[in-house]
Amino acid sequence: MRRAVSYISVLVLTLIATLFCEALRPYISPTNMVMVYLVAVVLASLRLGLKQAILTAFLGVLAFDFFFVPPRLTFSVADKEYLVTFLGFFVVGVVISSLVAKVQDRAEKLKEREAETASLYRLSRDLAVAADMHSVAASIVKNVESSLDAGAVLFLVDGEKLAVAEASIGWNENIEAEKVAQWSFKSQRPAGVGTSIFPLSELLFMPLQVLDTPLGVLGIRFNTEPESRFEQLRHLLEAFSTQSALALERVRLSRQAEHAQILKARENLERALLNSVSHDLRTPLVTITGVLSTIRTTENPLSEKNLHELVDTAWEEAGRLNRFVGNLLDMTRLEAGELKLKLETCDVQDLVGCALASVENRLGTRTVDVRLPPELLLARMDLVLMTQVLVNLIDNAVKYSPPESPVEITASADEAHLTMEVADRGPGIPEHDLTRIFDKFHRISVPEGASGTGLGLSICKGIVEAHGGRIYAENRTGGGLRLVVQLPQKGERDV
Amino acid sequence: MSKDDNLPRILIVDDEMPIQRFLHTTLDTGEFSLHQAESGHAALAATVATHPDIILLDLGLPDMDGIEVIRRIREWSHVPIIVLSVRDREDDKVTALDAGADDYLSKPFGVAELQARIRGALRRSVQLAPEPVYRVDELEVDLSRRRVIVRGEEVQLTPTEYDLLRLLVIHSGKVLTHSQILKQIWGVGYVEQPHVLRVNISNLRRKIENDASRPHYISTEPGVGYRMRSCD
Repeated sequence: MRRAVSYISVLVLTLIATLFCEALRPYISPTNMVMVYLVAVVLASLRLGLKQAILTAFLGVLAFDFFFVPPRLTFSVADKEYLVTFLGFFVVGVVISSLVAKVQDRAEKLKEREAETASLYRLSRDLAVAADMHSVAASIVKNVESSLDAGAVLFLVDGEKLAVAEASIGWNENIEAEKVAQWSFKSQRPAGVGTSIFPLSELLFMPLQVLDTPLGVLGIRFNTEPESRFEQLRHLLEAFSTQSALALERVRLSRQAEHAQILKARENLERALLNSVSHDLRTPLVTITGVLSTIRTTENPLSEKNLHELVDTAWEEAGRLNRFVGNLLDMTRLEAGELKLKLETCDVQDLVGCALASVENRLGTRTVDVRLPPELLLARMDLVLMTQVLVNLIDNAVKYSPPESPVEITASADEAHLTMEVADRGPGIPEHDLTRIFDKFHRISVPEGASGTGLGLSICKGIVEAHGGRIYAENRTGGGLRLVVQLPQKGERDV
Repeated sequence: MSKDDNLPRILIVDDEMPIQRFLHTTLDTGEFSLHQAESGHAALAATVATHPDIILLDLGLPDMDGIEVIRRIREWSHVPIIVLSVRDREDDKVTALDAGADDYLSKPFGVAELQARIRGALRRSVQLAPEPVYRVDELEVDLSRRRVIVRGEEVQLTPTEYDLLRLLVIHSGKVLTHSQILKQIWGVGYVEQPHVLRVNISNLRRKIENDASRPHYISTEPGVGYRMRSCD
């Protein structure tokens, strides 16, 4: 189509030149009209191409001969000198045309290379910011689409097999194409349309590899007739594949490194856990075993009072052991994501009551001030788990404050949140530890070496966060620590 | 065994030998005649053979689910069943209670508590009609006259609150699950609406408890239900 248009343009050009010469005929000699035709040839070579320009020169000679060289309106030439003019005109036309064509070809190539460079630049820029496998795959496909005017499908090694990691919209599973992709992957050579292997495939597959590690295959489905472009595209395709492979390799390596780091962190944590657990499990057992062995000895010189005291100690330690095991189980469940909330509308007073009932025998003579609003305070929560939270907070307050100081529990609510606080008059904690006390196994250093598990507060955090709430600590003015729990309420307080 | 004939018979169902031994030793006070079973099937057989007055049942049995044991026993017997369950298995407790268990104890538990539960369950099982007057500390509920007296003064309750208190009093010492209470007071349609119950319990506590934040008479068993303080 375009070719036909260009040949018609040749005819039109010649016609215009002829008409122009006809207009000038009274003023200039026929020899100078050749210059007008020459202009037409130059225009044709600039706009239409080499062949068209030569044709214009040829037609120009004929038209000039026919219309202007006497005898006019015949092809016969009276003055043989014109033959030199014809020859000169034709040769000059051809030379100009081929020179222009060469320059244009070079410019074209330059433009192409520029486009290639730009598209490679875009690709490398996108790949540089892609942090994970998924975004790398996505930017490869996106760049193939925009730079090559093509659809793309990226196969990556998944275990032993090749699997589609990312594909343009409209990609359907295609067994034939996958076969070609497999071949390309195994042999590490391009395959599919435009190559000698599976040339009937709709797609061209480029293997992606770094050094000797095969990573996958990039499949390209050209939207426009590709045959003529393959040779010029080869260079770009190879560059694309290399860059893509490098980016994939980079992400793979960084993922490996990350994995190793996580493993190491987990190992450290497990060691800390093991140390802490064995310590916290053993300590009560030491007491219990000691007491039992004393009682077990038959020649028992213990007074009734001492015996009672010993048994009480063992009893308390057994309770502590039980709580610790409970905490460990809670932690395990939280971490395994097995915690399922049973959200119910609960009376906050009931919650406080449950918590107080369960810490009662550990409170001794300590006073607990409970301050709740006079009206019924209802909130959505898992009562069992939130009781656990409150118990841990109260335990924490009791553990870290002098025995005669009061523990205060307050609760209030607005439209959006239920806020509960447990405050003590202990030493408080340094500012930089305020967030760290919720870390697992973090125990702030206290002189007496309080016997905590370092799990209580992190369990609280886990449970509160599972409710979509937050927990934080702050030092009180006047001394002491305040632990605040906020649970979101979605207007479900009203019954 | 003949000397045991008139003693209440307790069937202990637990597959853990140390626990069997512990329960045996602590309950062997001469008050009870003790029998044991280590599996669900053995428990069912022993229930038929010995006609126990009370069953202590561990839910984690090797051969069948403890809940299933309760269901099968309940098909033909009203013998009180006290479930021994590990902490933080509230759902199991509720299922067991709703299946017909009378009470539960969280492991580990103290002997005094176990004995109190056993006595309570035995008392309820022989008692045909509830005592007309329930009296604990400063609370008095006269079921025949629908009167509630706290610290010597009569307290006005709404009809629902009274029904709720009456239900709890009749079953004092025993834990009632949310669904059991909801079914009895509001009807089956309310079983999925426990907040109605919570609101009424809160109101009831405000009227009869000294300090509603530390309830003395009506205690909450988180995730399970409520328990009225027993007369003894």
